Amino acid sequence: MADEKDGKTAPPSPPSGPPAPAAAAPAGAAPAAPKADPLKAPVPSRAVDVLKARLPDQVLEVSFHCGEPIVRLRKERFVEILRLLRDDPELRFDYLSNLTAVHWPQKPQPFEIVYHLFSIPKRHRVTLKLEVADGEEVPTACGVWPTANWHEREVFDLFGIRFTGHPDMTRILMTDEWVGHPLRKEYPLEGKPEDHVQYREVTTAEHVYTYQKAPIRGFGWKKEVEKTGVGHG
Amino acid sequence: MFRTEEMDINMGPQHPSTHGVLRLKLTLEGEEIVDVRPVIGYLHRGVEKLSEHRTFPMIEPLTDRLDYVAAISENLGYCGAVEKLMGVQVPPRAQYIRVILAELQRIASHLLWLGTHALDLGAMTVFFYTFREREMILDLFEAFCGARLTYNSMRIGGLLEDVPRGWTDRVRHFIDIFPSREKEYEDLLTVNRIFLGRTKGVGVLTPEDAVALGVSGPSLRGSGVDYDVRRAQPYSSYDRFEFDVPLGAHGDTYDRYVVRMEEMRQSCRIIRQALDRLPEGEVRAKVPKYIKPPAGEVYHVVESPRGEQGFHIVATGGEMPYRMRFRSPSFVNLQALPTMCKGRLVADVVAVIGSIDIVLGDVDR
Repeated sequence: MADEKDGKTAPPSPPSGPPAPAAAAPAGAAPAAPKADPLKAPVPSRAVDVLKARLPDQVLEVSFHCGEPIVRLRKERFVEILRLLRDDPELRFDYLSNLTAVHWPQKPQPFEIVYHLFSIPKRHRVTLKLEVADGEEVPTACGVWPTANWHEREVFDLFGIRFTGHPDMTRILMTDEWVGHPLRKEYPLEGKPEDHVQYREVTTAEHVYTYQKAPIRGFGWKKEVEKTGVGHG
Repeated sequence: MFRTEEMDINMGPQHPSTHGVLRLKLTLEGEEIVDVRPVIGYLHRGVEKLSEHRTFPMIEPLTDRLDYVAAISENLGYCGAVEKLMGVQVPPRAQYIRVILAELQRIASHLLWLGTHALDLGAMTVFFYTFREREMILDLFEAFCGARLTYNSMRIGGLLEDVPRGWTDRVRHFIDIFPSREKEYEDLLTVNRIFLGRTKGVGVLTPEDAVALGVSGPSLRGSGVDYDVRRAQPYSSYDRFEFDVPLGAHGDTYDRYVVRMEEMRQSCRIIRQALDRLPEGEVRAKVPKYIKPPAGEVYHVVESPRGEQGFHIVATGGEMPYRMRFRSPSFVNLQALPTMCKGRLVADVVAVIGSIDIVLGDVDR
């Protein structure tokens, strides 16, 4: 599993009044300078300004990655915010480009639902994020953009997050009788879930073997055999 | 008295017109379609999960296998996303060669679509004609990178190597002869009465529905919505080329056909400009040998032959992505199928599936 480090080192959000100065050219950026971080430089964004002006209490955090704003929101009035973003004449986010989730098992709210919005008339993008606990339901976006239907089914299928009010909350890619949600971090890469118990004892005529499994850099599973005792014989 | 009742029928997963393993649960009333429910996932390979366990350069071959008839568009989008994440600027020559490759790929993909779409509708001849030209493009790709279908043709930061000697002349030869070849297909189809009867007014998608359902690519532009990622948010120096974005008027199967035919001409136009102004220089930026993007995330979108192809990468500073998401246009476009088919006949489903041009590898990932 990759080393975890929450990407929250983003600079504080810019004041909503005048748009941030630098148009943030990540152009000739020195390769991976950790401190300068041109990749996280704020860019002017109407969506961020409008959200902060209209619903300041709903915006938890604004960060910028690769020239695009990411807004972390509260869950309570989420669908209302989505409608605002879609219908506001200045924003017109009429196109839900992508909806997905990210699993951070170490965080108190381990699931992050990510919405990538695009506005066809205004040609701008914004990313919305919602953090939820395991087992918590998320309000569906199907009523705002019908395209969310299959995306949400996929998130349910692969992460096990349910969406409240979704018309058809069933699996989409895996078979209906599948056990587990494959894109969760604890789900093993290979084999069936029952193959991935950590220890297994095998008794032969001479010995009792214990098999231990440990992932090697994610590419496979190491099988460590330890001879523990004498069986019968 | 007649007794009528709704009837459920399976179409696929083994059905020649579903272009792979797509299953449709049709609810019929007589021969009229009441409801369509696509059942997908037969080709799910867990590419997103696999990507979390592979280093960044190792993911590119996986992207080839998503949309396997337009692998170069996937390569371009994936490499573009990682470059954005690392803040790498690709040299101009590499950008131009990438554009040439991507547009050749668009033509090849549309040719495959045209041949099979016509075949579905009973016009067999077109298939042989389009495969003749597709073969020429595949030969060009083979000369460039040695592969004919899954290219793995690009590298993070540019290209592995420059084009071979004489390759640009071969491309020029191809785009010189292609317009006359395209006219041959149009002679066979555009005013063909049977083709018109099967496509005009079939599978109408209104612009409002198309946008709300997230449809993209030629299927969206067939409905008259002006959204082409190459124009809306240019990448890989697409802003330096002149081209038109063809739009349909009625949103039916015929309009989607017209849009794709015109797109092939526009692709030729872009390739010609790129060849004329192909800059000299390096084809790969200075990237570290061990690719470790800084922690952060990116959502990069390119226009694949099927529509908006998105790549969402979450990196934590390691050699492997923490989360990799492929937003595939086929998956989203397929969602519009029920809207387009309701109230039509079973035979129209075949035409409509053909017209949204799905690739099941891209749908199921």
